[in-house]
Amino acid sequence: MLLRIAVRNVARGWRRSLIVLLSIGVGLSGCLFVVAWSKGLVHQMADNAVKIQLAHMAVQAPGYRDNPDVRYNLPDYDAIAKTARSQAGVHASPRLRGEGLVQTARKSVLAVMIGVRPGDEAEVSVVPSSIVEGSFLRTGSGARRLPPVVIGVKMAGEMRAEIGDKLVLHVPGDAGLGAFRVSGLYRTASSEFDGVAVFLRLRDAQRLFGVGDAATEVAIVLDDEKTVDAVQARLQEALGSGVEVLTWRERARRLASMLDLMGDLSWIFYATVFVAMAFGIANTMLMAVYERLREFGVMRSLGLSRARLMMLIALESAALTLAGTGIGLGTGFALVGWLGKRGIDLSMFSDALESYGIGTRVFLHAGWEDALTPLALALVTGVVAAVWPGVRAIRMRPAEALRRA
Amino acid sequence: MADAVMQAVNVTKDYETRAVTTRALDDVSLDVTRGEFSALAGPSGSGKTTLLNMLGTIDAPTSGIVRIDGDDVTAMSEAERSDLRLEKLGFIFQSYNLIPVLSATENVEFVLLLQGLGARERRARAEEVLVELGLGDLLAKRPTEMSGGQQQRVAVARAIASNPSIVLADEPTANLDSRTAESLLDLMLRMNGERGVTFLFSTHDRRVMDRARRIVQLVDGRIASDESRP
Repeated sequence: MLLRIAVRNVARGWRRSLIVLLSIGVGLSGCLFVVAWSKGLVHQMADNAVKIQLAHMAVQAPGYRDNPDVRYNLPDYDAIAKTARSQAGVHASPRLRGEGLVQTARKSVLAVMIGVRPGDEAEVSVVPSSIVEGSFLRTGSGARRLPPVVIGVKMAGEMRAEIGDKLVLHVPGDAGLGAFRVSGLYRTASSEFDGVAVFLRLRDAQRLFGVGDAATEVAIVLDDEKTVDAVQARLQEALGSGVEVLTWRERARRLASMLDLMGDLSWIFYATVFVAMAFGIANTMLMAVYERLREFGVMRSLGLSRARLMMLIALESAALTLAGTGIGLGTGFALVGWLGKRGIDLSMFSDALESYGIGTRVFLHAGWEDALTPLALALVTGVVAAVWPGVRAIRMRPAEALRRA
Repeated sequence: MADAVMQAVNVTKDYETRAVTTRALDDVSLDVTRGEFSALAGPSGSGKTTLLNMLGTIDAPTSGIVRIDGDDVTAMSEAERSDLRLEKLGFIFQSYNLIPVLSATENVEFVLLLQGLGARERRARAEEVLVELGLGDLLAKRPTEMSGGQQQRVAVARAIASNPSIVLADEPTANLDSRTAESLLDLMLRMNGERGVTFLFSTHDRRVMDRARRIVQLVDGRIASDESRP
């Protein structure tokens, strides 16, 4: 019944309640928008990194993670890929990845060379489907029959290279020199990646780096990302301790930390909003308490204890705050849901966004935790905001409260 | 007095403002025995409501002792006084003071809730008392949908629903027309007769004083006279 009284009192002072509800609603939906925006940016960055180069996980030789040198390689990469593919919903692509120099007649740049099998790579990466000109590692014919390479649009621009142009790749070591012809240009959401990554066929890369029939990693993508941990454990067990099965979070720790940080930062956003709201709610509750001192005096005369009166005021404050939170979350999630599907076109900032691997359309991202956090904070804020008005109410003797007009 | 349900012993009450101290009660002693139907009478400012509040434990004397059923309430904690009010006292106020967001039934239920009764039992008991007082057609009405007389009858129902041994009524007829006031007094007399509930009024309403079996006259915070009638 105390809850019923609390809720009805919120409705009774509807004008005042409405102002508080709207301020909580607008503040919270705005906060949710900012959080979803920030999370959307970081999630997109991580999602693109996974789709472009990281994959959900990778099998590597021990030592490669700390020192990514082609010496740390996997001679039995085909068997590893086969073991991975034997699991349902798992796609695998062997890669040989090393650093070197790309050179044209006019210019040379540092690059990451990635040797792949085009068919396998198409199952784990978006690069083969991101070709904007030419083809992905298809060999030319006749006099132009040099091994194909695919470079990013950004690198092509920097080197003034076009389809059909010859490139020379240099890598450290004895063998490391080879002539290639540009067979395709790709463009991904990450201009940084487009500026440094050069794709070539796995066997050409093996020849260039002089590692024999080996790869530095087997990239693995799952149909269901949620099974990452389970698949990692199964694969590690199946492949033994001679290799490392690493998730993208383990390989790209900084990116994973950014994602985690966004979760922590959202707490700070919400807490800031609710601290500001607490003063408004306390002020409203204080007014409500002063208006109803006589009513509280009656209740106390009838035998309502101080603790229960405090609880009544706290319930009222919490009901008001939770209702405002409901409005804020409802509005906020509707907005975030809509913009999460539609995205926000930020092509005017494309250079900056693509350099972070985000893409020009930002899709807002919010999860269930973005509802739970404000709900928990609302409850705490509602109760805390009631303390001051509540103390004012319970400190008064019933007779003194009854004398109030 | 052996059968005193309420006792004020040398009670003094001062109200202090920044500049002035006003003595509302000056060394007042009074015994109220079980089953009385009594009135504290006197002009405005004579201290009758203050004395009623002291006896009802909703205010504390500056000096002196108040006892309910022999227990010194001035020595009790606020929580103990709350429990005592809940268990033994019922209140009726001049301006009804029903809880505006609750219906007639819920207003009566409120006291029963504080006594710890379950929802079903509360509802049944509240409706029973309201029907007994002739308010069966007002069960779902809120205070704003009732006349003053109806609200005061609901207030009486609320005061007696918890089966208190004492009902304290502060100017209960002040805002009522004659017919409604008479009807309400009849009702309270009936409660007094049938249930043995002790009624103590503060009033300057002649109709109340005519029916009271004891009239304690207060003047300037002191008892000027104390008359009992058969």
